[in-house]
Amino acid sequence: MAGLKTIIVLSFILAIGFLLVILSSALFKNYLTLLVVATYVVAPIPNWLCGKAQGQDDFMDSGTSSVVELGRFMTGFLVVMGVALPAVFAHCDLIRIEAMVMSIIGGLLIYGTIISFTMFFHEQEEF
Amino acid sequence: MSDSRLFKFPKPQWMNSANSRTGGVYLAGALFSIALFVLIDAATFSKSNLNGSDFHMNFVDWIPGIFSALGMVVINSIDKTRLSADNFSYSGDGVAWKARVVLFMGFAGMAGGLAGSMTVLVLKYVVPEATWPALWFGVSNVITNALVMLSVTSLKIIMAHRQLAEDYKLKLQS
Repeated sequence: MAGLKTIIVLSFILAIGFLLVILSSALFKNYLTLLVVATYVVAPIPNWLCGKAQGQDDFMDSGTSSVVELGRFMTGFLVVMGVALPAVFAHCDLIRIEAMVMSIIGGLLIYGTIISFTMFFHEQEEF
Repeated sequence: MSDSRLFKFPKPQWMNSANSRTGGVYLAGALFSIALFVLIDAATFSKSNLNGSDFHMNFVDWIPGIFSALGMVVINSIDKTRLSADNFSYSGDGVAWKARVVLFMGFAGMAGGLAGSMTVLVLKYVVPEATWPALWFGVSNVITNALVMLSVTSLKIIMAHRQLAEDYKLKLQS
């Protein structure tokens, strides 16, 4: 059961990510860093929606693939936003540097879990 | 393609692959995000308690960024196939001409945004002799507009290559 091990490891990493983000907000009594979680949870949604929008009529894929590229553009935007938001907060003295580092690492762990989970499921769908 | 080449050096092969095209779109989104957050950082810093100077960002500092973003939207909403005048089905209605006018307006908006950001930097911050933490408001404006321009460039290169790839696919099908 390689799949079960992967799920356990992924959920472990997800829990560590959430732990880091929640610690970064709760330790310093400043809950702005929770926005990072929202950003990374929203990040895969444009890609998914636009993939569905293209899948409706892929009879002739002229023009519809620009919808997919819009989704990719927004995903790239949101992923960088997840890193940029704590950096902006830390630079403007809204949160502390330690909170910034913890929330960035935690957010990247959460996003990495989401991405590897979807890749894992896509691999299963093909067979 | 190879016999109608314009430049001496051929285009590198890796630019044509699907992966680099996908990466280019992600890169454009990332660059636009960095641009927006550089500007937001300056605005937040202006409002935060670290800003001890008399300089503050107000709506004037946002105008170049708004122009750049509008230009980006205009440029990317043009269909590339309408631009070529040797497309027989569209040459009669003057669609290519209209498309060029709209595209010109988009590029003018972006160039105006970049020039406007430099104007704001010089007139609002350099001439009244702002020192570093306040000078960042003007510098961030220039960085933002330059990054939006880079993002559009990245998208445009990608689109041109997608067009080539689609033409090639059409040639193979017929």
